[in-house]
Amino acid sequence: MTRGSRALPVLRAVAGACGVALMGVGMWAAWRGDDPQDPWPVVRWLAGAVLVHDGIVAPLTLLAGLVVVRLRARRAVRGGLLVAASVTAVAYPVLFRPGVPQNPSVLPLDYVRNWLFVLALTAAATAVIALTGARARAWARRPRTREGNDGRKTPRGS
Amino acid sequence: MKLPLRPPGIRSLPFSFPGRPSFSGRLHDARTATAVGRLLGAAVAVCFVTGLVSHVLQHPPALLANSLPSRPSWGYRFSQGLHVASGIAAVPLLLVKLWAVYPRLFAGPPVRSVRHALERLSVAVLVASALFELFSGLFNTAQWYPWPFSFVPVHFAVGWLLIGSLLLHVAVKLPDIATHWRRRSPGTLSLPAGDAPDRRSLLVATGAAAGAVTLTTVGQSLTPLKSLDLLAPRHPDHGELGLPVNRTAARAGVTAGSVRGWRLYVGGPRPYEITLDDLRAMPQREVVLPIACVEGWSRSARWSGVRVRDLMDRAGAPVGALIRVTSLEGHGAYRVMVMPHTYARDPLTLLALRLNGEELPPDHGYPARIIAPNRPGVLQTKWVSRMEAL
Ligand code: HEM
Repeated sequence: MTRGSRALPVLRAVAGACGVALMGVGMWAAWRGDDPQDPWPVVRWLAGAVLVHDGIVAPLTLLAGLVVVRLRARRAVRGGLLVAASVTAVAYPVLFRPGVPQNPSVLPLDYVRNWLFVLALTAAATAVIALTGARARAWARRPRTREGNDGRKTPRGS
Repeated sequence: MKLPLRPPGIRSLPFSFPGRPSFSGRLHDARTATAVGRLLGAAVAVCFVTGLVSHVLQHPPALLANSLPSRPSWGYRFSQGLHVASGIAAVPLLLVKLWAVYPRLFAGPPVRSVRHALERLSVAVLVASALFELFSGLFNTAQWYPWPFSFVPVHFAVGWLLIGSLLLHVAVKLPDIATHWRRRSPGTLSLPAGDAPDRRSLLVATGAAAGAVTLTTVGQSLTPLKSLDLLAPRHPDHGELGLPVNRTAARAGVTAGSVRGWRLYVGGPRPYEITLDDLRAMPQREVVLPIACVEGWSRSARWSGVRVRDLMDRAGAPVGALIRVTSLEGHGAYRVMVMPHTYARDPLTLLALRLNGEELPPDHGYPARIIAPNRPGVLQTKWVSRMEAL
């Protein structure tokens, strides 16, 4: 907390209390609302989502990270993998939905082909960025002719 | 490895916690959490507000039951398209955000005090509800329901859980957020300066991922981008007469036999019945209005038919009356629809007989269907058989 503002603790407490109240609305809606639900299946699916993410998705991501950080073009590769993983996560239900859709206008596309196409495009963009990055680094490492102009960008915050 | 039962500096730890993983990677820091978190927070807030709009339009509280606004005519198309698009864009944001804070899952000691336990519990609720909302919403748009409960009430309830736990999370982390809000904030500056370009590259990649999932799906509602619609569950060009369908006549149990000799019953102080030919002989109006599905897809179309208010006036229905519309379909949650007078009186609201210049096909509601502005698709009742002033 910069500048020692005194309103901030009050704001925090009020926002936190509102948050707890809104969570209460959610619990009420699920178990006492218009269409009350059996709580246990819901709790199981909520916990299951965390288990699948924290137990499988995140460790696999970290494992991939162990490999990626060793690459020269690690930033481009990390970006490419992130795009590919996100596209795959979003496409998962249209790719793998079992059963026949209700009618021909539901899931009408060739999703496997489209997904592979997007992945290929991502790989191509990643390769281009990695190569241009490598060239820029080579340029930065070239024998300098004039001092102070080594082509290197000044470090920036983010 | 032998760990001391009570690590130094910790007053009362009931058990040791061996094998805690260590994280040598970079960017698991509060600046990354803040920079990604605020985008994620914005996406979640948009989802919550647009979700509430959708809920109220479908299940209005008593106060609004007869006064929902019928304008802007594109309102629901916009808000529900935004709901689904921001939920999809939130997928990479959530994945990166959780990656950035993942080591904190193992921060020790697991529980320091009652307050700390509650705080961790609230974080667990936050993560669970965020993952669940995105997952269940996404699967719902593909009409895939692997869970044993009904989607709508649970998605609605967990939405409140998510927004509440998010508000609490932001309140708890406010000091961290404030000191990492900007590139030049004190907290950011105290992080290793060498990480900054790397973080920048991660944030650019996160933006690229959000952009990629948006561009490849948003064409299902933003028709000008339909040529980029590669991964959405719907495509604006797939459907009879250029309009996607959800419930077909066959599914609804409406057959050629059930529409033979069809007459519309219009109820009011002077009730009457009217045949399809007589409807065609009434003044026909043409409107351009979208079908905007709760699942996020939408497509505009040209409709012609008779104004609902002309039909109701003929039955002597009071101007302020709610209108109950009943479908021929034998069963289904949307067989009976109640329309606030704001829609019924709107000159754009039709009992449509034609779509894009052709007679309504059975799957689009032959012999007659409702089309109203700013209304979720499920309430644009097809195969209408009765309209009554309440
Ligand atoms: C759906 C939304 C969000 C989810 C699921 C989420 C999840 C998390 C989790 C699991 C943690 C670790 C908590 C702990 O162990 O103490 C965390 C930390 C944090 N979050 Fe969020 N968060 C969300 C939104 C936000 C927003 C909107 C902001 C701020 C703009 C934010 C800023 C932070 C900060 C600053 C930390 C501390 C990171 C650190 O100290 O390393 N989060 N978040």
